Amino acid sequence: MIVAEQKPLEEIGRMIVPYEKILILGCGTCMTVCGAGGEREVSLLHRALSVAQARGGNEAHSFSEYTVKRQCDFEFLDVLVNRVDEVDAVLSLACGVGVQVLAERFPDVPVLPGVNTSFMGAYKEWGVWDERCAACGECRLAETAGICPITRCAKGILNGPCAGSKNGKCEVNKDVDCAWVLIYKRLEKLGQLEKMRRYYPPRNFRPTHRPRRIVSRADISIQEGVNG
Amino acid sequence: MCSVSMDASKSNHVYNVKKASFDHTLMPPCQASCPLHMEIREYVDLIAQGRIMEALQVIRDGNPFPSICAYVCTHPCEDACRRGQVDKPIAIRALKRFAVEFGGDRMIRTEGKTVHGEKIAIVGSGPAGLSAAYYLRKSGYPVTIFEAYSELGGMLRVGIPRYRLPREVLDTEVQRLIQMGIEFKTETPVVSLDLLFKMGYRAVFITVGAHQGLRLGIEGEESPGVVDGATFLREINLGLKPSIGEKIAVVGGGNVAIDAARTALRLGAKKVRILYRRSREEMPADHTEVEQAIEEGVEILFLVTPTKIESQDGQLGVTCIRMELGEPDASRRRWPMAIQGSEFHIDLDTLITAIGQAPQVPDDFRLRIGRGSTVRIDPVTLITNREGVFAGGDAVTGPATVVQALATGRQAALRIDEYLQHRYPSAGKDEKEALMGDLLPKTVEAIRKLSRFEPPTLPPQTRATEFEPIELVYDWGSAINEARRCLRCGMGAEILFQDKCATCLTCLRVCPYHVPYLDDSGTVQIPADQCQACGICVAECPAKAIVLRKPQDRRQIDEELDHVLRSATQSKVKPLIIGFCCQYGLYGTGALASLWREAKAGIWIVPVLCVAKIETEHILRAFEIGAEGVFIAGCGQEQCAREDTSFWALQRIGKAKRVLAQIGLEVERLQAFNLYANEEDTAKALDKFTEQIGELYLASAIKQEVKT
Amino acid sequence: MAKSLFEEKLNSGKFLITTEVGPPKGADITEMVHHIELLKDRVDAINVTDHQSSVMRFPSLGGCLVIREHGGEPVFQMTTRDRNRLALQADLLLAYSRGIKNVLCLTGDCVAVGDHKEAKPVFDLDSVQLLKMIKVMESGKDLGGNELKGAPEFCIGASVHPATDSIEPQLIKFDKKVEAGAQFFQTQGIYEVNCLRRFMQYASQFNVKILAGIIVLASARMAQYMNDNVPGVIVPQAVIDELAAVEKGKGLQKGIEIAVRLIKTIKEENLCHGVHIMAVGREGIVPDILDAAGLGVSMHA
Repeated sequence: MIVAEQKPLEEIGRMIVPYEKILILGCGTCMTVCGAGGEREVSLLHRALSVAQARGGNEAHSFSEYTVKRQCDFEFLDVLVNRVDEVDAVLSLACGVGVQVLAERFPDVPVLPGVNTSFMGAYKEWGVWDERCAACGECRLAETAGICPITRCAKGILNGPCAGSKNGKCEVNKDVDCAWVLIYKRLEKLGQLEKMRRYYPPRNFRPTHRPRRIVSRADISIQEGVNG
Repeated sequence: MCSVSMDASKSNHVYNVKKASFDHTLMPPCQASCPLHMEIREYVDLIAQGRIMEALQVIRDGNPFPSICAYVCTHPCEDACRRGQVDKPIAIRALKRFAVEFGGDRMIRTEGKTVHGEKIAIVGSGPAGLSAAYYLRKSGYPVTIFEAYSELGGMLRVGIPRYRLPREVLDTEVQRLIQMGIEFKTETPVVSLDLLFKMGYRAVFITVGAHQGLRLGIEGEESPGVVDGATFLREINLGLKPSIGEKIAVVGGGNVAIDAARTALRLGAKKVRILYRRSREEMPADHTEVEQAIEEGVEILFLVTPTKIESQDGQLGVTCIRMELGEPDASRRRWPMAIQGSEFHIDLDTLITAIGQAPQVPDDFRLRIGRGSTVRIDPVTLITNREGVFAGGDAVTGPATVVQALATGRQAALRIDEYLQHRYPSAGKDEKEALMGDLLPKTVEAIRKLSRFEPPTLPPQTRATEFEPIELVYDWGSAINEARRCLRCGMGAEILFQDKCATCLTCLRVCPYHVPYLDDSGTVQIPADQCQACGICVAECPAKAIVLRKPQDRRQIDEELDHVLRSATQSKVKPLIIGFCCQYGLYGTGALASLWREAKAGIWIVPVLCVAKIETEHILRAFEIGAEGVFIAGCGQEQCAREDTSFWALQRIGKAKRVLAQIGLEVERLQAFNLYANEEDTAKALDKFTEQIGELYLASAIKQEVKT
Repeated sequence: MAKSLFEEKLNSGKFLITTEVGPPKGADITEMVHHIELLKDRVDAINVTDHQSSVMRFPSLGGCLVIREHGGEPVFQMTTRDRNRLALQADLLLAYSRGIKNVLCLTGDCVAVGDHKEAKPVFDLDSVQLLKMIKVMESGKDLGGNELKGAPEFCIGASVHPATDSIEPQLIKFDKKVEAGAQFFQTQGIYEVNCLRRFMQYASQFNVKILAGIIVLASARMAQYMNDNVPGVIVPQAVIDELAAVEKGKGLQKGIEIAVRLIKTIKEENLCHGVHIMAVGREGIVPDILDAAGLGVSMHA
């Protein structure tokens, strides 16, 4: 799940200053699940901005609300054409992907991000989300018993643990487990400690060089297709 | 003031809004089991909110004689009540009695106006006949009821003893019918239906009941001192005071037998016994009646039946034999068989036989009669073999219950109306889907066990000496707390907008009863038969995909806020304080009642049906429409009828406070009362809060002045 | 032919003594020079720390150059926190060309604990990969597989922390470093010789030199702090009590006493191959420690 956090109200307030009519646009997928930008959060943000306005005594902005299933596929945005025409800006509560697709689809209207997209992660307990995947492009979870050293180790090292591991916790934060101690324990349980004894050469960062693209379709010419 | 509440036309999908206005509640088992299909869940909920008069209105909508049922109904609803799967069923009949007494039933007048010309005759003034008369009169027909006895009411008058149904209650109902314009002719037994038609009646409803006692069929049954139970009760109810002596026995196991035994006690009998040929489990009588009889001193001999009666010098010598239970018979009860050689002898002054009653229909009626001397009818149209002649009640079913008779009366009124207006019999109302299924053990475990508030009764010693009504009415506290035990079957939450559902599993995770689950296809389901209608998931769902099945529940808080907005803008009193107060607790706990009563000017109460339903948006809306202070008052975790509600209310308050802080509003402007710890004095706490808000308001007003 | 003077010392079988200097936060290196002068002839090599605790300072490479200028033997502490593989290789080429031939390969502390918390952590490599990288360079290639015009040679070392609660993962790491070519190890501060003894039982199977880390304590509070917060350091209660028992102002003296006691024990019982004295900002007292321990008669390069 892509996990994000709503931007501080003050920052949003500053972002919308130049615009009068604003559409607050929610996203019905990841942002709903992590509680940062679904239909409820849209309505909550609307209320919060309205209260701020009411108390401030000015009526600079008027807001409308809508939520689409996803903002990261432009077909879902077609339904917004008329609404977008009526406003001066769209305050999107989608993740960074959605905001950009939205901006590309509607290049003539300013699109403002309402959340800070943080990471790909999972639900831990009520209201708590942990990062799990850094999209390194070279998944090595088979070698580390399903525990990612890139996201869960503060230094992202491949031959761990480092000298900063104390009582199974990371030097950065006593509440954070040392990923390599976790990996050791689980590999031991699986009887696969030799995976930890192996030397892992330096990471190949090529898959992370930006901008990134994946082409999953097959491009074959007519000739190839015919002649096999 | 800006931003009006989210208007329907501005919401997401217009068609979804329409969908959202449909009633998706399921018919609860209480309503389904009631022959009248009364909206029990609705009136119990109204009682839980302290809205007694509205509860009475709901009752009256479904029942022509609520006061009678309040005293004597056999309550199939309580037997079906699913609270019984948790601890004990809701005391629905006692609650109905409470509503009738405190809701001012006596003061309600019903009107009757003649619209049609067709006269209708009803033979017999028992509950079936009275009910049919009521509905036919409401439809505008001239109705005449013919009654053979001197008093009206049928079994209500002559069968049920006064300590169960007071005379005045029945009299009031009959008076109401008379005021509606229904004609009554007492001491007028009908001997010929042909005559009725000649007299100009266009339709006849036969409701003669079942008053003829069945015979034991044993030697000596004709002896003086042996009296039929129904006759015995009738004579007493009509004012006679037979001397029955001191040693009485009653043969039988139904309500008539119990009534006869308890009546005998009240007439002064010293030793009253009931002889029943089967065991306690098979006794058809209402078990509360049986218990009360035993409390009063009636001795019940099970697996005993008389075989011979001898009369000598005014005393009866009765030979009895012991029984044992064999194979089950047609009624699926085990057939009693005499144990050879187990005879014993008892001496009695009076033997009362109460083994069943049959209808007595004159041959001259020329009606087809079936088993048990009952009238044969078409079950849908209630019509007999004769044109224009309908029948219902005990005359058709044999001895049954009052509420069944009332339901038949209502149905007969519809059928007679159709007949007279030459309409095809309608297929019946569009019945709502009934709630099926029992509570799962994991749901039951999560529900807090609460003892049933038993309706108060007179002590047994006092009872047995007089004919005063045994059952007393609830006090307010007991009634409301009993009503709050209701599980609200079938009016819980549902994922109405599956397309919006992101399967985030929030509803699964927040439900205190673990009701939502993931089915095999990975779709979240909220089973209607488990949902306890607490409303937590509705307010937490990040996609707003879950709604409460009852349309009135869905926008309740928004509508109340709109109302406050309209009224508060007209009022000049400042500062404006808005309080969200639980409706249930207002009366239930008393603490919040003081909040409501002591609320000063400038404080607007938004009543909510449990604080679990308050969303953070509602709190912010309150500030948006100009409130300087907002508070939420609930029943507290211990008093609330649902689990975890205070926790979630506080979560939403926390979220709102975060927003207030970011906007620059003081977080003290938002307060919670009574959510966890019971306030010592809620009124005092509210006073303090009001003062605080007043100060903040002044401070900000001064700041405004300074700015300008 | 030894790759460096220090390597010669390693192979000589003598009791090794190393120490460290922490560079200044700024361009004024006067004090560092002073410390170098103080120590260069008393020890076998001087480490220069690399942004220790992720606090930005004068670079380790610079400090090593200064040590060379003054005739000392430097150990270039190199962390992988701040530079990618290109920069690391380049620095190594520079180091070798300037006669800095001892490298201590470390991963380095997290950026979050330092004074530039918003900086980007690099960690292109970890300590094991750094050791291997040096081996690759020694073979005449760079990490991209290209031929080097002039291959460097280094005496390489790494760190190890025997005083840790779950020793098994640490030992796995230790094995990897030995396998990658580490010749010497400097440990984190030890306060309890049994711990060292246990570790040496395991480590003595390898042909590597172990120098026990000695951190000088100045007070009971410092000891408690290190116990609670510094990974790899366990200060026994007895030592904390010992420090707590002295009167105010005499803490450092006691700390030195404890350090000397440890060094003497290690030397007399031949527990390991030497000591690495870390004065943590008090480089001035190191000669006193050496005197008291009877070590470090003038070493001339």
